[in-house]
Amino acid sequence: MIRLENVTKSYSAEVVAVRDAGFDIAKGEFVFLVGPSGSGKSTLLRMLNRQDRPERGAVWVAGRNIVDMPPGRIPHLRRNIGNIFQDYKLLLEKTVFENVAFAQEVIGRPKHVIKQQVPAVLELVGLAGKEDRLPHQLSGGEQQRVSVARAFVNRPLILLADEPTGNLDPATGEGIMRLLDRINKTGTTVVMATHDQRIVNTMRKRVIQLDRGVIVRDQARGVYE
Amino acid sequence: MLSRLRYIFRETFDSFRRNATLTVAAIITAAISLLGVGLTLLSQQGFDNLLSKWEGGVEMIIFVNAGATDDQLGVIDTALGNAGTFVEDFTYCDAPCSLNEAQIVLAGEPGTLALLGLNNIPTQYKVVPTEGTDVELLRQLEGAFAELPNVFNVQFAEDQISLIGQLQDFFGFRLLLLSIFLLLAAILLIWNTVRTAIFARRREIEVMKLVGATDWFIRVPFMLEGLLHGIIGGVLASGGLWAWNSQWTSGVGEFPEGSGFAALVVTDGYDKQVMLIMLIIGAAAGAIGSGIAASRFLDV
Repeated sequence: MIRLENVTKSYSAEVVAVRDAGFDIAKGEFVFLVGPSGSGKSTLLRMLNRQDRPERGAVWVAGRNIVDMPPGRIPHLRRNIGNIFQDYKLLLEKTVFENVAFAQEVIGRPKHVIKQQVPAVLELVGLAGKEDRLPHQLSGGEQQRVSVARAFVNRPLILLADEPTGNLDPATGEGIMRLLDRINKTGTTVVMATHDQRIVNTMRKRVIQLDRGVIVRDQARGVYE
Repeated sequence: MLSRLRYIFRETFDSFRRNATLTVAAIITAAISLLGVGLTLLSQQGFDNLLSKWEGGVEMIIFVNAGATDDQLGVIDTALGNAGTFVEDFTYCDAPCSLNEAQIVLAGEPGTLALLGLNNIPTQYKVVPTEGTDVELLRQLEGAFAELPNVFNVQFAEDQISLIGQLQDFFGFRLLLLSIFLLLAAILLIWNTVRTAIFARRREIEVMKLVGATDWFIRVPFMLEGLLHGIIGGVLASGGLWAWNSQWTSGVGEFPEGSGFAALVVTDGYDKQVMLIMLIIGAAAGAIGSGIAASRFLDV
C-alpha cells in the first residue's frame, strides 16, 4: 500500500528532516511512527499525502509513485487518504454534521449520499445525537472524534494521524485509539505519528522509530523504548 | 452537479456576508469607475452628434429656405459647379435628410424640433473643398453664395469644429484617463477583497485540499465573488448613467433655444449600448481581479 525508497527531504542545507528513509507498509497494517520532536515524523506523513515532496527517492502510494504526480491528480490521491491532526482542524462555524459532510460535499458527493453516510459514520465514532453541536460545544475527545469521522467518511484506503491524542487526557486518548483500531480492522491502513509511549506499548503494533530524520528501528509488534 | 452549484453559490454569498465592508467598498469603486467610463463614452457621442453635420470633410454648409424652387436650387448648383477650383464635391441634403439630421442635432430641444417639418425645414448644400483649398478662400466666396436667391445662411466648419473638437479632446482624454485609474483601483480592491476572503477561510481551504477538493472547485466561489462585484458595480453604474442622462436630457430641454447644447443629448439608444459595455467591462474587471487573487493566494 505504501513504499518509501531512499527518501530524503530537507528544508535548508542545515535542516535535513528525513534522510534516506525506506520502508514498506502493507494494506491493512497499523504502524506507529515514533521519535522525539523534530525527528521527521510529521514530514514523513506530509510526504505521504503530497503536502511535501522529497528531493530524492520515491514515495509509492496505492501502486503509484506520487513524487512526480501532476498537480491535477493530487486531489484524487487525497480522496483515498484520511487525515487526523492533533489540533483537529475543525471548521468552527460549522456543526458536527456539516464538518463531516464538508469532506463529502467538496468532492461532489450527492446530497442523498451525504445524508445517508454522515449519520452512519457519526454513529460509528460515538457522536450520534450531537450532529447539531458546534465544535466549541464539544469536549476535546469529541472534537477529535469529529475529526476521525471526517477523515473516515469517504472510506479512504489510508488514514494518516499526526499526534491524534496529543491534546487529550489518557482515558480520552484510549477511546480515540480504540476507534482507530476499529477503523483499521475494516481494512484501512493506519499510519500514526505519536509521542505517547503508553499507547504504543499497549497497542503492540508495528513501530518505525526516527531519530534526526533517520529510521533507526522498524519493529513488528514493537514498543516505544 | 446541482449540489456543486448549490455549494458554490452558498460559499459565494457567505463570503459576501463575512466581508461586507470590503465588498461594499469594491462594488462602489467599481460602480464609480464604470460610471466614469460610461460618461466618457456618452459625452463623446454627444460631441459626435454636435459635429454630425460636418461629417465627410464638409467645410461649408449653405442653408436654403424651405420652399426654394428647383430653378433657385439650380442656380446654387451652377454657382457651386463654377467654383470647381475650390470645390471638390458638394451634396444636396433635401428636406427629409435635413429633418433626420435635425433630430440628432436638436435632440435636446424638443420644442424647436416639434416646430420643424418637411414643409418648413431649411435644406442644405454640404460643400467639401478641394485638397489644399484654404478655408479663407472659401470664406471669400461666402458673400457670393449668401446673395443667391433663397439662401439664408452660410456656415463654416472651422467656426464650430475647432472649439468643439478642443472640448471633445479635453474632456474625452481626461475623463478616460480618470476612468482607467478608477478601474485599476476597482480591480485592486476586488483583488484585495478576494485575497482577504481567502485568508479568512484559509483553515477551510486547507481542509478542502486535504480531503481532495480540486483547485478549481476551491477557486470558483472566489472568482464568482469577484465577478459579482464587477457585475453589481456595472448595474449600479448603469442606473447612475440612466439617471444622469435623464436629468441632463430634461435639463437641456429647459436651456434657452439655440444654446448649442441640444446636440449633446443622447437619445438614440446609444446609452443602452454604453450600459451593456459597462456591464461587460465590470464583469471583466471582476474576473481579472478575483482570478489573479484566487490563483495566487490559494497556497494557504
